[in-house]
Parts: sequence; C-alpha cells; structure tokens
Amino acid sequence: MRARMLIATTMLAAVVALAAGCGGGGTSGGGGGGGGGVVKGGILRVGTTNYIDALNPFVAIESQSYNAFVMEYPQLVQYGPGPKLEGDWATSWSHSSDGLTWTFHVKPGKWSDGKPLTAADAAWTGNTIVKYGAGPAAYLAAALTHVTKMDAPNASTLVIHYDKPIANVLPQLEQFWVLPEHVWGPLVGSDGKGLKSYRPEQHLPTVSGGAYEITKYQEKGTTVFKPNPNFYGPKSNADAVALTYYTNSTSMIADLQNGNIDFADQVPYNAISSLKSSGQFKIDSVASSEVTNITINSNPLKTKNRELLDPNVREALEYATDRNQIVNVIYAGYAQPWANMLSVQSGKFWLNPAIKPLPYDTDKANQILDSLGYKKGPGGIRVVPATTGKYAQPAHKMEYNVIVPDSLDFNGDRQFQIIADTWAKVGIKLHEVAGGDSGQAYGLETAGKYTKFDFATWDWAEYIDPDAQLSYMTRGQWYSWNDTGYNNPVFDKQYLQQATLTDPKQRQALVWKMEAEIAHDRPYIQLVDEGLVTANDKSWTGFYPDLGAYCKCYYTSPHKTG
Amino acid sequence: MDYIVKRTAFAIVTVFVAITLNFVLFRLLPGNAVSGLRCQHCTKQFRESIVKQYGLDKPKLQQYVIYVERLAHGDLGTSIADNRPVWDDIRTPLVNTLPMIVVGTVISIIIGIISGVVAAWRRGTAADSANLWTALAFYAMPTQWIALLVIFYIAIPLGLPASGIESNTLGILSTPSTWAVFSDRVSHLFLPALTLGVGLYGEYSLVVRSSMLETLGEDYVLTARAKGMRNWTIVWKHALRNAMLPLVTLIALSLGSIVAGAIVVEDVFSYPGIGLATIDAISKRDYPVLQGIFLILTMSVIVANYIADLVYFKLDPRVTE
Repeated sequence: MRARMLIATTMLAAVVALAAGCGGGGTSGGGGGGGGGVVKGGILRVGTTNYIDALNPFVAIESQSYNAFVMEYPQLVQYGPGPKLEGDWATSWSHSSDGLTWTFHVKPGKWSDGKPLTAADAAWTGNTIVKYGAGPAAYLAAALTHVTKMDAPNASTLVIHYDKPIANVLPQLEQFWVLPEHVWGPLVGSDGKGLKSYRPEQHLPTVSGGAYEITKYQEKGTTVFKPNPNFYGPKSNADAVALTYYTNSTSMIADLQNGNIDFADQVPYNAISSLKSSGQFKIDSVASSEVTNITINSNPLKTKNRELLDPNVREALEYATDRNQIVNVIYAGYAQPWANMLSVQSGKFWLNPAIKPLPYDTDKANQILDSLGYKKGPGGIRVVPATTGKYAQPAHKMEYNVIVPDSLDFNGDRQFQIIADTWAKVGIKLHEVAGGDSGQAYGLETAGKYTKFDFATWDWAEYIDPDAQLSYMTRGQWYSWNDTGYNNPVFDKQYLQQATLTDPKQRQALVWKMEAEIAHDRPYIQLVDEGLVTANDKSWTGFYPDLGAYCKCYYTSPHKTG
Repeated sequence: MDYIVKRTAFAIVTVFVAITLNFVLFRLLPGNAVSGLRCQHCTKQFRESIVKQYGLDKPKLQQYVIYVERLAHGDLGTSIADNRPVWDDIRTPLVNTLPMIVVGTVISIIIGIISGVVAAWRRGTAADSANLWTALAFYAMPTQWIALLVIFYIAIPLGLPASGIESNTLGILSTPSTWAVFSDRVSHLFLPALTLGVGLYGEYSLVVRSSMLETLGEDYVLTARAKGMRNWTIVWKHALRNAMLPLVTLIALSLGSIVAGAIVVEDVFSYPGIGLATIDAISKRDYPVLQGIFLILTMSVIVANYIADLVYFKLDPRVTE
C-alpha cells in the first residue's frame, strides 16, 4: 500500500477549518465508538499486515511508517477526532490578507529527550525540506509546495511564507512533520545525503515530540510505542502500543481469535463473516481511501508496445475488465467498482460525478480493437502490425507482463488471474511478474526511465484533499511518487494553478477537469474503492478505525472497557 | 585415510566454487547499491560516492580478490539497506532459525523412524498402507500449505501463538525472567518447528520403511528369529541400526531443502529467522546481505555433507572400496 491512509471526511470540513482561520485547542480522548468510562492502562496490541519500512521520513514509503510519524512528531494541524482539521501542536493561526504569510502559534513543549521543542525546530524542518525538495527531501516536498521560507521569530511563533496564495494550506500542512533539529541538523551534510542515510531505528528510543516515542523497532516484527512524557497533547490511555506485523492475514486473524492482539487494522475480506459470527469482536466497516488500479506505462517515450499509449486501446481494456467479479471474489463485496483517481472519501465536493466505470463488455472491447486493426492471430492472440517512423516497432503479439507487488493488502495474484482471464477473451495475453515489496516494484516501474514495464496492479491510499493525488501525475514527481511515467505539460500547469485557486468553487471546477483528463488518458484503469474493515476485541473501545496516519488519537484514544 | 583426504579436498574445492559463484551471481543481477536506496532524485556525485563506498567502481577481478580477502578475515561486507556489517544483520536471524530447524528435524526423524519401522514390520497391512499414503501426502504437500493447516487446526483450537518469535508484550513494561523468556520462545517455536517436521517426515518414513524391509530380509534377522529373540529386540537392536545408513545420508543431503522449507515456514509464521531475512533482503535488493546468507547456507550444506561422508565412513568402512 503506497502513501498514507486517510480519514473519512468531507471537503466541507476542510473548507470550514480554512475559512475559520483559527484552530481548535487540541484533541480530546475517547470517542470513536467508545462507551462508558475511560479505563487507563494496559498494552494495546495492534496487528497489521502493513509494515513500517523505515523510521526515516525521507525514505519511508509504506503507510504504516506514516502512521508512526504522526505518533512521533508534532504536526501543526491534524484531522480528528471527527472529520475536520484541528490544531495539534498549533493553538491558533492566521494569515495575511494577500494569503502569502501564515502565522502559527504553537504550544510550549519538550522533545522526549528533554530538549526544548520550539518553533525553530519547525522552521528548520520546513527550510530543509524546501532546500532539498528536488533531491533527498522529495518525498516530503509536496506538503510545502509554494513555500519559500519559514521563520521562527520566537519560540512559540512560526511564520510560513508562500510565493502564491494557496488554496489548501492546512490540508497540506497536515502532512508536515516537525523533526528535532538537534538530532537531524548535524546529519544533513553539504548535499543533504544524511537525510537519506540516517536510520533513527538504530538510535532507539527515537527522539519524539509527539504522543509516543518508539522504544523497540522490528521491521517485520513488533514495534513498541511508549507514551512520550513530554507530549504537549492528550496523553495515551494505554501504557504502550505494540504494533505487530504479520506476513499474512491468516496468522493475524488466528492471533486475534486467540487473544494475542486486541485490534486488527485490516481484516481480510474472507475472514469477516467468521469473526462476526463469533460475537467476540467489534467489527467496523468504513469507506476506505484506497483505490486499486491497473497501472499502465504512460511515458510517451517508451519504445516497446507503444500501442498501449493509445487511449482507444486503454478504453477497450477497461471494457474488458470485470470489476464486479473483482469486487465479489477479491473483496467479498466490501468494495465498489470505481473509475475516479480520487477515492470516495474525498467526498462529493471533489469527485467529478461524470466519471463512472465502464461496464464489462467484451464485445465492445473486441469491436474497438478490431477497428484499430489488431487482428487475432494464432492462439487467439491479437497482433499489432509493424509501424514505421521514429518509434518504429515490428509486428508483435499483444502479450504483456504485469508487475504484481507482494505488499498489496488484497489478493493480487487472484486479481491478476481474473484480469488475465477476461482480457484473454479479447485476444490479449498477460504474464504475471512478481513485483516484490513497494520499493522493488517501484524500481521495476521506473527502470530505464519508465521504459521497461507495460502494466502493474497496485493501489493508492489517498488524502482527502486532492492535491497530493493530482501531484502524483505530474512530471515533477517522476522517480518520487509518479508510477506511470505520465507526462502531460498541460496537466502539470493545471496542477500548479489549482493549488492557487483560493475560491473553492473555482478550484473544484479545475480539479474536476483534471480528473476527467486522467479518466480519458487512463494512465490507470481504476478498479475498485476498497472498504476498510477492522476488528477489535470487545475488552477495548475508543477506536477511530478510519483515522490511521491522520490523528494521534488513533493510538491515544483506545482504552480498556474495564 | 585416502578416503578422508579425498573428501576433505573435495569439500575445499566445493567451498571455493561456492564462493566464486556467490560472487558472480550477485553481480549478474539487475540493480546495485544505488538502486537499493530509493534515491532516483539524488545527484550524480552522490550516486558515484555510494558506488565507490561499496567498491563497485573497481574492475570485477579486483572486486573478487577483495571479496575473498575480506572473507578470509571473516568480513561478509556491509548491508546496503541499513549500513551495518552483514554479519550483524544475519547473526540474530541465524540464531533464531537454528533451534527451529533442529527441533523440526528431530520431530521429523522421530516420526519418520517410528512410522517407517511400524510400516515395514506390518508390511501389507492397513497400517502400512495408511502410513504409506500419509507419508506420500505430506511429502508432496507444499510446506506453506501445511503451515496454514497447522494455523487453522492447531493454533486456533489450542490457542497457540501463530506468529513471531516472542509475545508482542514481552518486556515492554517490566523485565521478564529468564524462564518467562524461555517458555515464551518455546511456545512460539513449536508450531513452525512442527510444520517443518511434518513436511519432512514423509521422506524419512519412506526411506526407513524401504531400508527396514531390506534389512528384515537379511539372514541375520532370520537367525535372530530362529533363536527366539523378541520382536522388539530384533527390530531395534539388529534391523534398525543397519537400516539407519541411508537415513544419515538423506538427512545430510536434505539440509538444503530443510533450509528452503524454513524460508516458507518463517514467512507464514512471521518468524524472524534466516528465511524471513532472506525474503527481506530480496525485497530490498540488499545484495551484500543476500550474498552473506547464501554463502553461510551453502557452507552449511557443504560441511554437513562432509560430516555425513565421515560418519558414513565410520558406520560402513566398505564405502572406500
């Protein structure tokens, strides 16, 4: 699973927070389906099939890592509890009338090692990301698009300067983690090399300003979060959180049933009914931020199988894709067919209603491919005629490799079989290629400057605000988050423009247009919007299952029922 | 004596071939130290400095000489993923895996010998047929499939831990006693070891049965029967001892497949041993770690075979003829 998980919310909430121009005073514990009094203590044991790949935010890819950063580091604002942006470290904020200067007032605090936590840390972090945003800090740069500089006139005031008024300052800053300057500062070096090579996991406990410090880290085992005694916000109800990674959901569910974990952050779809029938667990099902897709290499300079760049071929491929079968077989019905690049949790305000999945229709797909001159040859596989010119190709079969990462949170192999079976009906043969983990699969996609691969099957865990997801389609995100090689200068300009439209209606209109462009060009054939199903032992309550990687309350709120 | 010298020389040559293959194979694979860093945006100078840091800018022959020299000093290199010595990265997984493999192998030997002897002694009966088909079935089953069955039908009903090497809460709020750590480790080791044992036993059972049938037909067994010895004595003191020779060879030869089985078992049970470390290193393209793991595993198999040759010589001096 790439990028972060998200929360259930609406744009309205973000707009309200933005328009209000001032933050809440912090979060409160409890909630999330909890009931009765809060019983403090105990170790909250969380099971997951998504691992923390690194504790260095300049390196990490997996969403569980971002969850850890939320727990460890101060954020100016964060989502929740509830579907809106609240102050986390910031107590209030305001902006200049031209929208170019934003001033945040932050709470006094200390890092977990006792050093003072001040606005200077935030300014250093922000300026470092801006300075190395085109290099080692690229993973975090999207959150600070258009930021020119950060200042800390005093310990509790942070001033952020923009080169243009930005529409989504607060949703962007929700992804900005403040790092301890006294730890990271000496490591940067002259070219930022230290930002990539530093391994906080080798220097435990981590120096934290957030709700927890990490005292034990096992990438493929258990990571322990202990409450940071110097945290400025609501304290953890549990004495510690033990996050255990499982290589497969079968053993995770076995441990849940045996009482070895208290909370499973994503229940496999085929285990839901048995858990429900046991009556021992509380099952929560919420719409997820995760949209799965068939990724299509869209680099206009690719040299082989260039017929796949044709939007008509891609349209035919979408007609040949049976989303309903995928929903029923892979997700046991806990997903919905989907075509938009944004997830359902972005809300109606952002989702262009005109974008809908094409029906499964192999006749229509065959008709399109026939009309393009790709006749069926021996074995029923279509043949692409030879072409001439700069990108001349010999005649070849429509036979392609599909990269399937092994870090998917659904059955990628089975999904591949379904797609391969239905595409075979229109004369296209597919071969599965093991993609390895996220880093390895991304390496396969970007190999040869995005010229080596044809297809992959993957997913995006998205933010509520569309900015990040739109940015992934830009040329500027090549080798960082762009996984298709999509390169459309017009789209790139629109991306920069949308971020500066402070009128929500105007921005909405442009975002809808961009969604339509992506739906037409199909760098992805979007497949489904996944449902997120979690389960917890009834001896615990207070969960916010949809707030993973968005709110410190995801870990601080759960408590024993007593 | 000639036999021992020959086997020793053969083992040494094999070690050198393994070292050389280990060097060559990993340089034929795509990617290098830079591609493992997820740093496509980094400057050319930065990339070059990393390549230089790992000595990958030198000619291959020179790299090979350096590699062998370092090995001679016990230096397996440095991990690309975490910049630590490879030995530091694989030592703990090796220590974790060893008891699991030992217990698993012991389980397989015990079940294999008992079932093989009973089947041979009761040849042609329902017990023989049942054992034959059961052994064949487990021999043919993929180990990961057996692991899933173990989780479904043993872990869940008995409440045994199905993942990891220790309880996720152990030592978080207080320092556990040595006994608590030991019993916790044993409870986590049991199911992976059982899976490995069940996956291996079928082969051992079939070999023991076959060997026992041959031995039970020997004249000295007939003589023992004629002398009125008890069946128990005939089987355990006379027949089984002589039937053990092929099993010794098989156990040594199957060390490679035991390790392969351990990889999938550790993956299913999230057991942090050398198998999981291998999968992790593959995912990260951490070639120095992979190289180190493969070298150690290869050496283990070579050494095990060497020891088996010596044991065989001890058990049956006719092998030199």
